[in-house]
Amino acid sequence: MIPFLAKRLLWFFVTLWVVFTISFFLMRAVPGGPFDGERNLEPDVKQAIERRYRVDKPLWNQYLVHLGMAAGLLSEDGQFRIGVPDLGPSYRIRDFSVNQIIAQGLPVSASLGILALSFGLVVGLFAGVIAALRRQTWVDTGVMLIATAGMAVPNFWLAGVCIILFVFLIPLFPAAGWGNLSNLILPAFCLGAPYAAYIARLTRTGMLEVLHQDYIRTARAKGLRGRQVIIRHALKGSALPVVSFLGPAAAGILTGSLVIEKVFHLSGIGSYFVEAALQRDYPLAMGVVLVYTVVLYTMNVLVDLSYAILDPRIELE
Amino acid sequence: MDNCILQVDDLGVCFHTEEGRIQAVDGVSFALHEGETLGIVGESGSGKSVTSLALMGLVPSPPGEICAGRALYRGENLLAMPPKRFSKIRGNRVAMIFQDPMTSLNPYMTIADQLIEVTVVHLGHTRREALKHAIEMLERVGIPSPSKRIFAYPHEFSGGMRQRVMIAMALSCQPDILIADEPTTALDVTIEAQILELMKQLQQSQGTAIIMITHDMGVVANICHRVHVMYAGKIVEQASCDALFANPRHPYTLGLLKSVPRLTQATSARLATIDGQPPDLAHLPPGCAFEPRCGYATRECRQQSPQLQDAEDADRFACFVDITKESPHKDPHA
Repeated sequence: MIPFLAKRLLWFFVTLWVVFTISFFLMRAVPGGPFDGERNLEPDVKQAIERRYRVDKPLWNQYLVHLGMAAGLLSEDGQFRIGVPDLGPSYRIRDFSVNQIIAQGLPVSASLGILALSFGLVVGLFAGVIAALRRQTWVDTGVMLIATAGMAVPNFWLAGVCIILFVFLIPLFPAAGWGNLSNLILPAFCLGAPYAAYIARLTRTGMLEVLHQDYIRTARAKGLRGRQVIIRHALKGSALPVVSFLGPAAAGILTGSLVIEKVFHLSGIGSYFVEAALQRDYPLAMGVVLVYTVVLYTMNVLVDLSYAILDPRIELE
Repeated sequence: MDNCILQVDDLGVCFHTEEGRIQAVDGVSFALHEGETLGIVGESGSGKSVTSLALMGLVPSPPGEICAGRALYRGENLLAMPPKRFSKIRGNRVAMIFQDPMTSLNPYMTIADQLIEVTVVHLGHTRREALKHAIEMLERVGIPSPSKRIFAYPHEFSGGMRQRVMIAMALSCQPDILIADEPTTALDVTIEAQILELMKQLQQSQGTAIIMITHDMGVVANICHRVHVMYAGKIVEQASCDALFANPRHPYTLGLLKSVPRLTQATSARLATIDGQPPDLAHLPPGCAFEPRCGYATRECRQQSPQLQDAEDADRFACFVDITKESPHKDPHA
């Protein structure tokens, strides 16, 4: 366990560095710059701005300084220091550093993501198990029909329908905003619904496969009752495909949250992502990319860990 | 006999498939007495495993269905018992071990957890009592250093060890009846001999009656007291083990016995086989199901199915021909 985690930690930093480097040069390879606008700026004004944000320096110099700052080893003017990683000032959102923007947006996005994923997991697992146990009945057909629809429907459409239904027709939830839990319920539902649907299908398939295994017959031959057989013997095996789906699901929920945050006017980091990329706000886009990298990497490590915990035959390297 | 603990009458199990209704077990009747080992022998698809699953209430349903008969255990019909009541008997008074020890244990649970739940459910043990009992059981079935190995997972055990665990699990509550569905088929012969020896020992010490389902005449000769031979869902011969080997009365039994390799046989000699395939249960011939493969078949065999008839002692067989007097008119190996 410890060597596995140490190894993963080492690769974590390598991964972050590679992502940083590729994003850094890729963003700057795209035509246009952060300070280009409709109107041409006075040359000396533009020069002053470029000096302020150090974009007048050669690219390799910018790269090293930004990398050093992100690693927590350099200050903005290139002096050595040891401190928290600093992603620098945002180019477009004046007077805000990327660190501040992320500190504001991340709690919103994280709450939304965690809520959506939990919703997807709980509803998906439950529906999948029920459908498998009632296979080839109207319950099964109904659950699978809803699941298929849930997977096919894009979340922005679902969001629209939910707003019409539960904000205007039946005023249960606020249409937008951030502050308390009721603000998060509709967006988390819309974001998590397709994942609930997919997890339901995975669980049903996994459960049906496990129910045909010899060891389930053994469990019944022991005299265990139906529910004991399912909970003690069948659930673990049928949850494995779901666990391996959680990695990609986390990625999907992150990228999906861009749209949902827009629809429900939540100021999570998702909404900054698109704007930062469009406006060539290099440090902010980089910050969001790095946050996503950390989240995805952590999720994948957790998936590997829970796989090893669930299935004793799997050994961590 | 008065020490009969399981009386099966006219058991019928059918499966509803796309090809129609298939009668996998048809009119099977037998009695099991305390402390005896009853062998049920037959090829794949002869209905022997389905018979055992039916007695345990484990016939997969759908598509399976118990369509006739009763199985009286201490005066109670297992086949018509409410599920709640049945689950109190299953694994407790009537236990079962399965063919493939590799897949019959739950790979996600430790041996300890899988053994413990049996006595927790049936004997009301606490976890600690159950663990102590489970370790004792493992010791009895010959697992070395059981107090350590009990916390292992099934994949850390060999096939023979896992079958020992299965036996320990089945015998945890000292059942009256142990149904063993080909318990040694997946094991190699030395392990097979060990497992059979173990079952004999445990039977002697606990007085458990065993139903041994097998296709292996060697296993039958080793462990069984009485034997029932099944073909196409029906019992075609019932006899004591000695009588069956000395004096088979059904051509199918004779075929099975002939196809056992013998040490005295030249190694170059071709092993005798029974010609043809087991019948398709969806399209049984109108007469005797074995008639197409039988060297003794007469016109009568083609037209009607023979019923079980009494022979010497308590033995019975279902054949129109007395094969002890007739010789086969066509040689299946010509």
